[in-house]
Amino acid sequence: MIEIIKNMWRRKMRTILTIFGIAIGILALVVMGSMAEKLNLLVDGGVKYYQDKVQITSGTMGMSLVPLKLDTKAEIEKIDGVGYVSPIIYTTLEKDSSAVSFGPPASITAGDMNAIKYESFKMSLASGRRLTNDDKGKIVIGYDLVKKLDAKVGEKVKIRGNKYEVVGIWDKTFTAPDTSVSMVLSDGQQVVYNDLPPIIKSSVKPSDIVSGFVAYPKKGADPNVLAIRIQKQVEGITATGPKQFQEQVVNSVKMFNSIIYGIAIISLLVGSLSIINTMTMSVSERTKEIGIKKAVGAKTSSILGEYLTEAGIIGLIGGLVGIGLGALIVNAINTAMEKNGDKLFLLTPRLALGALAFAIVLGVIAGIIPAVHATKIDIVKSLREE
Amino acid sequence: MAESILKLNNLRKVYIVGNLKTAKKAQKEIQKLHKKYERICCQEGTAYKEVEKELDHAQKLFSEEKYEESYTYLTRRGIKRGRRDKGVVVHALNGVNLDIKSGEMVAIMGPSGSGKSTLLNMLGLLDTPTTGQIFLRGKNVTSIKNSKLPNIRSTELGFVFQSFNLIPTLTAIENVMLPLKYSRTPIMERRRLAEEALDMVGLSDRMHHTPNELSGGQKQRVAIARSIVNKPAIIFGDELTGELDTKMTKEVMQLVVDLNKKGQTFIIVTHNPEVAKLCGRTITIIDGKVAK
Ligand SMILES: Nc1ncnc2c1ncn2[C@@H]1O[C@H](COP(=O)(O)OP(=O)(O)OP(=O)(O)O)[C@@H](O)[C@H]1O
Ligand SMILES: [Mg+2]
Repeated sequence: MIEIIKNMWRRKMRTILTIFGIAIGILALVVMGSMAEKLNLLVDGGVKYYQDKVQITSGTMGMSLVPLKLDTKAEIEKIDGVGYVSPIIYTTLEKDSSAVSFGPPASITAGDMNAIKYESFKMSLASGRRLTNDDKGKIVIGYDLVKKLDAKVGEKVKIRGNKYEVVGIWDKTFTAPDTSVSMVLSDGQQVVYNDLPPIIKSSVKPSDIVSGFVAYPKKGADPNVLAIRIQKQVEGITATGPKQFQEQVVNSVKMFNSIIYGIAIISLLVGSLSIINTMTMSVSERTKEIGIKKAVGAKTSSILGEYLTEAGIIGLIGGLVGIGLGALIVNAINTAMEKNGDKLFLLTPRLALGALAFAIVLGVIAGIIPAVHATKIDIVKSLREE
Repeated sequence: MAESILKLNNLRKVYIVGNLKTAKKAQKEIQKLHKKYERICCQEGTAYKEVEKELDHAQKLFSEEKYEESYTYLTRRGIKRGRRDKGVVVHALNGVNLDIKSGEMVAIMGPSGSGKSTLLNMLGLLDTPTTGQIFLRGKNVTSIKNSKLPNIRSTELGFVFQSFNLIPTLTAIENVMLPLKYSRTPIMERRRLAEEALDMVGLSDRMHHTPNELSGGQKQRVAIARSIVNKPAIIFGDELTGELDTKMTKEVMQLVVDLNKKGQTFIIVTHNPEVAKLCGRTITIIDGKVAK
């Protein structure tokens, strides 16, 4: 083992460059992978959130900021299979949300606090308590917003020009709620109303404004069927069931993931070519040594093992360096973006371990051709060599 | 009478340089017949005598450069030499018979290119003969499987080469431990045996030097330590004093003689008559044959 490391160190520059080649590949894999992991979590969260309810918005799919009329609620409630309808206000945390953001931007959500009884997406609290419908002027904030808003339970923070008392902080969910502020419906309506253009302001009451509804199906009713029914019977809305979310978001995320991993793996393959190159050179430089070792009784398996180990070690070190650098970059960007209450990357243990294992396996595979070549060296010929 | 440790029977090594198809084909047939001969020669009866005769005749034709006749004799089929068939056949070894006894110290001499190194490489199982048999302690090692050779090399045979052939990244003791590593000796035992061997060659104070921190004579002594560490049946030395000056040659040969006195068998290829004089017996090789 020590001998193998000594051998690698014989050509410092070359070994370092090769390790660097692998490290860059692993770095790409780690950084890209962290992005994909974060996205996966968001989507997983989304899938869970959308699981057994129907989202109703005006216009196209997604969270719309164009106000819906509150009258629509009664219309939806009449539909067969609908158990409970909660109006929802959804708006961005900043008035002009121009900051580039990955995943959902920091947001305000307001709704009917009684809907929690129907909700299967249960959120737990890190500290404080939940809101009730009477908690006007009070908020519960997402975990990632604590720093951004400099918030503490019991203290007041300013949002969109108004002061609110923080009564609770959600546990970290790794998805959208982490960057979201929850408030009661009327507070949310007021926030949206305040920023409406004056012409529209005069024609609506704050209590008429909603950005959408969540319809909870009655026990046993299929939310997907319900979504289609609501879509048909209520005009001017888009009803999205869990299946549609799945189809639209999950599939495109899968595509995105394959592209991301594809890029990283290509850069790794290029790195592994440099391992093949380095190992081939090492073997041809050490032809005579291999001949000597065979002459004193080295078995084919010993020679094979020696060179595969060397290639594996290059992979291992390259992997460690790549993961280290990747972690640094991911952390640096995340820290820089924390002010926006948004994290771009998530470096999970499974990603790190996976990348390391991949680096080692790749190294060993890249070492196979040169190692087999080494075992085929003819003793007499190699010893004749000068 | 000491026990025979190494015996050669009609050993041949043919190199066909270039693209001489008729010679290659004839050689292939000869090897086929030789395999058959090996298979039946240990059986009762006289069938193998017939085969032996046939083999001898084919080989005689072959060594007279009558490749086509040799082929036709063995296969009863004709071949013709094509226009593009050009090349040279080198009979590096042309029927060597030898018998070496345990505890002997044998010098192999002869002009350059006569086949001494080729012979030594065959004896040391570093190379395979084209035809013929080698018996190590009465056991036919030419028919042994390739995968078993490393084990024999690391436990029964030792080598010392003209150019030392130490591994430059390893220290003296690590070089000496190498054969033990491949024979799977436990690590503590390896160290002890290697120290013992280095002590025997008088280098216990140079154990942790790398080869380029040693003189030529010291390097060769390390190489000798490496060859004796696994207590082999035979040690082969190919011009082991070839790169040493007179003083160092004496030094190294003194060591060889001392080891031989303790019963170690040596077979040494040399150009140096002084070295040959120290050996109990000298075998001269000329044109791939033992000179009478
Ligand atoms: N791989 C090979 N291919 C073709 N011919 C070879 C090969 N190896 C050796 N020979 C030939 O076999 C003959 C014997 O070579 P060998 O090395 O055994 O000679 P030697 O007696 O050791 O000579 P020296 O004393 O110069 O070392 C030479 O004519 C050489 O050219
Ligand atoms: Mg020679």
